Amino acid sequence: MEIVLEAKNLTKTYGDVTAVNNVSLEVEKGALFGLLGPNGSGKTTMIKMLTGQVRPTSGSATVLGLIVEEDPVGVRGRVGIIPEQETPPSFLTAVEYLEFVAAVRKIPDIERKADWWFDFLDFADKKNVLCKDLSRGTRQKLMFTQAFIHEPAVALIDEPLINFDPIMQDLVKDYLAGYVKKGKTIFISTHILEVAEEICSGFAILHKGTLLHTGPVAELTSRNEHLASFFLSLVRKDGHA
Amino acid sequence: MAMLELFTSMVKEEWRVHSTMFGSLSFALFPVMIFGIAFMGSFLLPLMRATLPAGNLTLIVHANYLMLGIMVGGFGLLGNEVMNRRFGQASLLAYSARSLPLSEKFIFLNFVIKDTVYYFFLWVLPFGFGYILASPFTGVPLAAALLLLLTLTLSFLFGLCGVFFLSAVYARSRLILLLVLLAFGVVVGGISVMIGMNPVLFFPPLLLNSAFTWLNFLISCIVLALLFGVAILLFNPESVGSEKTYRDAFAPLVRRFSFLPNPPLAAKDALDLYRSGSLVGQTIFSFLLPLAVIWFFLSLLDSIFPPHGLLFIVAITTGIIASTMYTWVTMFDTFGPYAGLPIAVSTLIASKLTTFGVLQLIPAIFIAVVALLSGEAAYLVPAVVLAISVSFYAVSVMAWLCGLSPSVLVYDVRVLFVYLILVGIVMTIFTSVSFANPYFALSAVVLAIPTWLLVQKAKSRWDAVDPDGF
Repeated sequence: MEIVLEAKNLTKTYGDVTAVNNVSLEVEKGALFGLLGPNGSGKTTMIKMLTGQVRPTSGSATVLGLIVEEDPVGVRGRVGIIPEQETPPSFLTAVEYLEFVAAVRKIPDIERKADWWFDFLDFADKKNVLCKDLSRGTRQKLMFTQAFIHEPAVALIDEPLINFDPIMQDLVKDYLAGYVKKGKTIFISTHILEVAEEICSGFAILHKGTLLHTGPVAELTSRNEHLASFFLSLVRKDGHA
Repeated sequence: MAMLELFTSMVKEEWRVHSTMFGSLSFALFPVMIFGIAFMGSFLLPLMRATLPAGNLTLIVHANYLMLGIMVGGFGLLGNEVMNRRFGQASLLAYSARSLPLSEKFIFLNFVIKDTVYYFFLWVLPFGFGYILASPFTGVPLAAALLLLLTLTLSFLFGLCGVFFLSAVYARSRLILLLVLLAFGVVVGGISVMIGMNPVLFFPPLLLNSAFTWLNFLISCIVLALLFGVAILLFNPESVGSEKTYRDAFAPLVRRFSFLPNPPLAAKDALDLYRSGSLVGQTIFSFLLPLAVIWFFLSLLDSIFPPHGLLFIVAITTGIIASTMYTWVTMFDTFGPYAGLPIAVSTLIASKLTTFGVLQLIPAIFIAVVALLSGEAAYLVPAVVLAISVSFYAVSVMAWLCGLSPSVLVYDVRVLFVYLILVGIVMTIFTSVSFANPYFALSAVVLAIPTWLLVQKAKSRWDAVDPDGF
């Protein structure tokens, strides 16, 4: 299988704090890969390193054949990203933000594509509202749209279902499952284990910046073991309070 | 009790905002540096008095503290939006009326008091303290030093509450603001014509400094209380849950800006400035108002300048103030919202500088108007060239030192020190050059070279830094 995303001994330190410690992992094309871990385990830092938002202290990452540290802008041009807690620009309307993204990414036919997404995620009535006046849920819909509107080969999403109501969560989970069936790859970080178990094909567990385990979800299913209990036993063994 | 707790929490919050940005020590050194400048500067007084009468020095220092008050007030009112962009989902206590059982007006009152006390300790007290401590060595009577501390405090407060008052009126009605400013101009202009004196001389803190009387002090306090009171009464928080809608203006703007290097980024900047009200608000409160004040103050010093000197001093000052327009276009976002897109930090810096370049029409027009109004149309071109060259040079220093965060990194002692040195040298050189011959001011175009070099250095420097905010 083709590897589309690879981390080799990635480490990131901030002063005395080691956010990510010597993490190596590979993600195959067509996978829906979940990076799991408790709050503060280094998931967001990992996504930031994989997308060139922060530079690793040591180690390297490759996405779609591009070395991230050498060409972060090139990598971001080819993937879709939903950064954690990031919100769209305050003084653009929802539709203007998508036009902005389209202009930067050089996406053709944006009007038709934007309308499809407004209908699909049910927020067409908000397309002309300033982003700063949108609810958190609607902002998340907009951020989700901007990450997928150019149908990237790889999408990296920090907490994909945060701020979505149960109906929208269901819709988005179906969309993600269908997206990987088209041969695209999705890398998500989450601490909601039920979601990971439901939609991910592969996973990695990060704790205190260290990789505790990586493998396919099917491996657990074949042992009749749930991801939640596996995760908790590993993390507790590693000394989580 | 609630007032004291809220006030204490707001002070802590302000301190933590600043110390989070560049470390507690670096920020704690800021008032120490102000103290040092005042203390050391006091020993230069005899030298300065040889060329500048003591009254004029007092005037300049008061003008600076008035400006400081105006700028602190202006930033405070934009605080929440700025913080949200800089810290993600950050929120200030000043905007917490939705979650606390406290009224918006009560919180705003605390916010005003907090700003007054906090910036008094940060800026005003260290300066006054430095001057007071140096007074035994410089021969300045202690009473005069204490009086200066009092009048500088009042100057700062006039700036702060003046901008709160005007912005509260502005939020209610732009027409009323225009009428208030017109009425103020007519009254001040009328008095100065009748008495034949520069109206700045009636600025209460200056009056008080030249001759302290309890009556003058009382008048100053009453004027301040009135401005604060009216600002708080008129304070009109944005209603919760309101949704502003706009017709799609982005695509047409991108087409209109197609001649610029990065039309989508320029269109976004234009919409940010227009829809946030910053273009009008900042032009009035951060550009025209301070420059009008400076122009009035400097006109008092006209007699000590060489012929046409005032125009060129105003041009250089306009250049420096105009360079702060870079903060207008960078204050709404960190690199965060762009981090998921194929945009490099250097591209964003270049784009912000392009928008800044377009905004330079404002200072160019301002200086042209000043030249025409002061009957010096012959020197209009050199004055405009000087102002714009200084502005571009100062902004290149700012971009190199601060990247996309000029309005926050200014409080880093090291950054401010280097900025003051680099800009101060250029100001001194071109003040001398233009004083020697007004047409020599045209030589300021040579600043294009260091400007270009500094912009290149800014791009490579900030591309090499992790752009994930603070």
